[in-house]
Amino acid sequence: MKISVIGKPEGCKLLRIFLEVTEPLNRESIIMSLNIHGDFFAIPEEQFEEVEQELAGTRLGHLGENFDMAVADHRIQIEGISGRCVMEILRSVVHGI
Amino acid sequence: MAYEFRLLKTGFHNAFFNMGLDEAILESVAEERVPPTLRFYGWEPHAISIGYFQGIHEEVNLEACREKKVDVVRRITGGGAVFHAAEVTYSIVIPESHPLSRPSILDSYRLLCSGIIEGLSRLGIEAEFAPINDIIAGGRKISGNAQTRKKNCILQHGTILLSVDVDTMFSLLKVPQEKARGKLIQEVKARVTSIENLLGKSIGFDETARALEQGFSSALDLSLSEAEPTEAETIAAARISAEKFSSPAWTFKR
Repeated sequence: MKISVIGKPEGCKLLRIFLEVTEPLNRESIIMSLNIHGDFFAIPEEQFEEVEQELAGTRLGHLGENFDMAVADHRIQIEGISGRCVMEILRSVVHGI
Repeated sequence: MAYEFRLLKTGFHNAFFNMGLDEAILESVAEERVPPTLRFYGWEPHAISIGYFQGIHEEVNLEACREKKVDVVRRITGGGAVFHAAEVTYSIVIPESHPLSRPSILDSYRLLCSGIIEGLSRLGIEAEFAPINDIIAGGRKISGNAQTRKKNCILQHGTILLSVDVDTMFSLLKVPQEKARGKLIQEVKARVTSIENLLGKSIGFDETARALEQGFSSALDLSLSEAEPTEAETIAAARISAEKFSSPAWTFKR
């Protein structure tokens, strides 16, 4: 199933998250694809796009920590986005994650 | 001893060439063919630029832009959508090995934005840095800035508003919740300001650019030598403009 959700948690830029995940929708759902749009900064930008692709296969409940790890692994500097930002926004549509 | 910088005043160009020239300058600074560079420029026709990670259909009313002949371009920098009309735009390119370079994005913004803050003070406007990437005066945003790092160089560009037309801006940009449009426009009017609003009179592009030039020079201890873009940069800018910034594949990549 496809999910799109928008939010601006405290300390984060306005983020639009587009996900395709397996059903049923819960913390065990597996991410098939992920795209994050917004006015955040991630340098190098191209590396962030690789992170989006690499996060396919992640369980929804682990997205925040895996996002932070992938960003660190790729040595990406980020401002206005983090695993916490992403998870806080997803919690508005996926309970218990 | 002051840092030697090249100063470019490249006038008004369309959005695609403007972004192409910023990238061409980055390439030539990276290849050490030119010194670190400060550039001032404007936009003709008016344009919307969106941040690297923004979705164009979510941010821009493309039909309204077509009707009003407003260009739409995706930047190589992150950040938000900007309506480029009555403003001075600057770009600054510095090698990461330069003493004015800072490892962190936020520290770089803070340092490079000090040039704008000093420039505004020369116009009689007291402004301050507002993390992550804004400058505010009287509690309202007067300048937005965006930065990237490529080829071991920092490119930061940004705008300083001469005047602001929020109604036109919102006819071109999409508002997340259509029902909140009226309220949002009022909120944005309360959050955004301009040199004209603050001083109660219009200050032209050239005068503002001169104040900013002095501001950068003083705040960052720059020795500026005015020049024209090299022939190679102009050719590269035209090529990058045509192949990248004008291409639907780039514009609609998100």
